[in-house]
Amino acid sequence: MAARSSMSPLVLLLRDWRGGELGVLLAALLLAVSVVVGISAFVSSLQSALVSESKQFLAADSVVRSGRALPVEWRQRAVSEGLATAVTLGFPSMAMTDQDELYLASIKAVTEGYPLRGQLRFSREPYGQVTSTGAIPAPGEAWLAPRLFALLKVAPGDRVWVGDKPLTITGTVRSEPDATSASFGYGPRLLMNLDDIPATGVIQPGSRVTWRLLLGGEDAVLQEFAEWLRPQLIQGQRIQGVEDGQPTIARTLDRAQGFLLLAGSLGVVLAAAAIALAARRFSVRHTDHVAVMKSLGSSRQQIARLYGGSLLLLGLLATCLGWALGWLIQAVFFRLFAEQLGVAPGQVGYEPFLIGGATALVCLGFFAWPPLERRARVPPMRVLRREVDADQGQRRGDYARGAISVFGLMWWYSGDLKLTGSVVAGLLLTVGLGFLLAQLLLGSGRALGSAAGSVWRLGLANLRRRSSANALQMVIFAIAIMLMLVLVIIRTALIEQWQAQLPEGTPNHFMLNIAPGDQDPLASFLQNQGIEPQPQFPMTRGRIMAVNGTVLAEDRSSGEERRQREANFTHSAELPAANILLEGTWWSVDTAEEVVSLEQEFARGVGAELGDVLTIRVGADEFEARVASIRESDWQSMKPNFFVIFPPAMLERFPKTYLTSFFLPPEEKALLNSLLKQFPTVTVIELDIVIGEVRTIVERVGQAIELVLAVILLAGALVLVAGVQASVDIRLRESALLRAMGAGRGLLLGSLVIEFAVLGGFAGLLAVLGAEVAAWALQTQALDLDYQATPLVWPLGIVAGVLVIGVLGLLSCRRAVVVPPLVVLREV
Amino acid sequence: MIKAINLQKSVPVADGTLEILRGISFEIKRGETAAIVGASGSGKSTLLGLLAGLDTASQGDVEIDGQPLIALDEDARAALRGEKVGFVFQSFQLLPALTALENVMLPLELAGQSGALQRARDYLERVGLGARLDHYPTMLSGGEQQRVAIARAFAASPAILFADEPTGNLDTNTGNKIIELLFELNQSEGTTLVLVTHDERLAARCRRRFLMDSGTLEEAS
Ligand SMILES: Nc1ncnc2c1ncn2[C@@H]1O[C@H](COP(=O)(O)OP(=O)(O)OP(=O)(O)O)[C@@H](O)[C@H]1O
Ligand SMILES: [Mg+2]
Repeated sequence: MAARSSMSPLVLLLRDWRGGELGVLLAALLLAVSVVVGISAFVSSLQSALVSESKQFLAADSVVRSGRALPVEWRQRAVSEGLATAVTLGFPSMAMTDQDELYLASIKAVTEGYPLRGQLRFSREPYGQVTSTGAIPAPGEAWLAPRLFALLKVAPGDRVWVGDKPLTITGTVRSEPDATSASFGYGPRLLMNLDDIPATGVIQPGSRVTWRLLLGGEDAVLQEFAEWLRPQLIQGQRIQGVEDGQPTIARTLDRAQGFLLLAGSLGVVLAAAAIALAARRFSVRHTDHVAVMKSLGSSRQQIARLYGGSLLLLGLLATCLGWALGWLIQAVFFRLFAEQLGVAPGQVGYEPFLIGGATALVCLGFFAWPPLERRARVPPMRVLRREVDADQGQRRGDYARGAISVFGLMWWYSGDLKLTGSVVAGLLLTVGLGFLLAQLLLGSGRALGSAAGSVWRLGLANLRRRSSANALQMVIFAIAIMLMLVLVIIRTALIEQWQAQLPEGTPNHFMLNIAPGDQDPLASFLQNQGIEPQPQFPMTRGRIMAVNGTVLAEDRSSGEERRQREANFTHSAELPAANILLEGTWWSVDTAEEVVSLEQEFARGVGAELGDVLTIRVGADEFEARVASIRESDWQSMKPNFFVIFPPAMLERFPKTYLTSFFLPPEEKALLNSLLKQFPTVTVIELDIVIGEVRTIVERVGQAIELVLAVILLAGALVLVAGVQASVDIRLRESALLRAMGAGRGLLLGSLVIEFAVLGGFAGLLAVLGAEVAAWALQTQALDLDYQATPLVWPLGIVAGVLVIGVLGLLSCRRAVVVPPLVVLREV
Repeated sequence: MIKAINLQKSVPVADGTLEILRGISFEIKRGETAAIVGASGSGKSTLLGLLAGLDTASQGDVEIDGQPLIALDEDARAALRGEKVGFVFQSFQLLPALTALENVMLPLELAGQSGALQRARDYLERVGLGARLDHYPTMLSGGEQQRVAIARAFAASPAILFADEPTGNLDTNTGNKIIELLFELNQSEGTTLVLVTHDERLAARCRRRFLMDSGTLEEAS
């Protein structure tokens, strides 16, 4: 007669809410789920936004480019594999009207289906209503760019000739998705049907044309097709996909994702700790509950089902709320970075939500369930004899399983075993070291306490009694505070040191392309405006062709590291400021030697070393020069810098322009207008804008990290609350006893304040120590800055620790002081 | 109804084994009242635990309604308790997180009985706590808590009620009231009552009296 229980998990949850641990449990779960969902949703939304954007640039998922006609089998093969296809052909050609007007247009001939991704917008009249119908010009028709109408003096309905083929103008091309990648030169567009190309007769073998086979379909099929095709490609043919379209973005994004998720998983680790603590207390409090239920006839299974059901319910609630919250976090991140990213949020997909659900399951299954599961084994005899032991070991096994499961989660988040391993190892090391230091600090507190008055003795005695739990909490908080401090230090250091390198009046504008004749008028123009003229540097464009007679590869696609490089050459008799000679010697002022000085990165790029002989081309002229020195340039100095410097004599015979810089205070920006009016050929680069942008980026990254840190701090707070809750029963009893013996509230409150303030102060101290070490390492090793002491962080860290932990701790055990002792002593 | 057959209980301790019960046999019939008295530490609570199947004997067996407990595993014993056995404890054992009403409803809900709310309310009224339904145990006096425990025990209509020193934590006056209540309910419901007590007046009210002395049980005439 298996009694079926009508007591549902929901009822248990509702009744037990007052206990407090369920609140912590739910909050910790919610935190874990929403952080994980938020971060991974942000990253996947960003990723899909970037991918779809770059697909639009291609007008396809993948493109085969070729300088000559593409074999018909390629397209047939693609079609037979189920890929969508279209072909485009681009070339420059004269467009001619019946009135003999001529203009060099950039012709694009396309087939039905173009574009496969993105949209072709067109209008009937040159600046008329825009539509995108998915149509292309029919055979015998042509669509023109708006300005080509004016240039050719035609109107819709007129005819235009491409080679031998007359085409009727039926529309206007307003925008093409692949305008940048498919256009040829800068001529205005003429769009026509590929079927008309043979009749034009303009395509001859050897013409400079670009054929593109557009492909659309599933990644796997595209991959397979690319593998089939790759061996058949010849010189001048290549496959473009999204991945090779933007390799740097993809890699940066991967790293950002890894970082964010690992930072987030720190939050998850802490949340898991809070969950374990809360579940432990929940289960301890329920020991008698279970014994009574068993004496009243509940089976183990019923009890397990009751508690398991409650956990599942709790998990479900946390997961749903966490999904919603995570989605919000994702939206906030997007707002924060909208400007920098310049993309609209893309699709999020279901995976982030899956990861969030899994996180909740792991947290519950490995951290909350074990102590509750053991509860089902409480012997019922406990109702008659309280001493009957209720706890049945296996703690270590729980911890091990929990640790492994969290490691697995982190691995899944980051998708990178090595990264996860090193983060976990670093974390363990930090926690271990911090734990030892924390124990030391607590030990010193003990000595302090026995010397002080009774309030202090009481407070410090409490700290000492739970010393390992307290040390752990100290470390958790110290890490959270430390990360915050590191952020403060690094950010201020970055901006301040940068500004220190740019003293008041550092040039914030560059001028290029100054003709030799404009040199003096420009200098006097600036002088008249009260702007101090800076030196003007001669500049000659040239190309490094060969090193020691070995001709370098022409462009990047060859896959070789060493390749030809084009650069602005300058000449100088002296080593310019902000340059350091690394190897070789600087030439004498009036040298007649054929020598050159290279910047070190540039030298590496062309593969040249000291003493090598370079073959250099300027215009149609080729000459040789020996590498006399290698330099390091300080690019952060914001002064004009050059990769390649010659002695003055060597560049004398070449045409040159000049480059200079000057400082313009923000309120005088209007001056640029009159400057450009007077010297229209000069190009001005507004560095102040660049500086401003860098500053915003630093700031935004800081905000993102702050957001993640806030999460970690919140998780740390949960751990503290859960930890204090675990001790609150004993505290209640002790304080009741003390008060029964005549201790005043003031004494008890004082001892609590001291306990948590000292804990917080120690945590702050640890944090400051850690932050200084981390900041030193970051500044000197990673960021190439000089270490700067930031004395401000010492009081900041310690005060933050005292305040945060003091307030949280007091709040979570205020009951111990507020509740009348009688109530406590009477409690069953 | 309840039959003990050569019950023995021994537990391992630091220096060998401690024999708590040394072979106890007796039989109590349906509707009877029995008191077990004896010195502190003589083994009364241990015996009660074995009779109710809260623990297992080292030797011998208990039969409840002809069902030998030795043949049942822990869950089956729990189910048997849910159906036939009620408890009242010296330390009340109310669940602090639940109100008086919820405490009384607990066994009914566990047994899946319908109308738990109404029944629990009825029984609390019968023990004179109709006005305190939503109070938590901490807000009740010891006697009131024990009355809630009695309501909880009887609400499930058990065939047998075990009580371990039900008046042990109460003053004489309150204890008397609790005793009245126990016997009144025993009368009206026909419940078999097995009491462990130090209280002479309580023992005197029972039809049968047993004396426990260092692990052996003797019936007083
Ligand atoms: N699991 C156990 N391990 C060790 N000793 C035990 C165990 N269970 C009972 N005892 C011992 O057996 C003896 C009898 O215990 P029991 O609780 O049955 O006594 P009691 O008669 O109910 O006493 P009281 O009147 O004080 O409640 C005691 O000395 C107790 O310490
Ligand atoms: Mg006893």
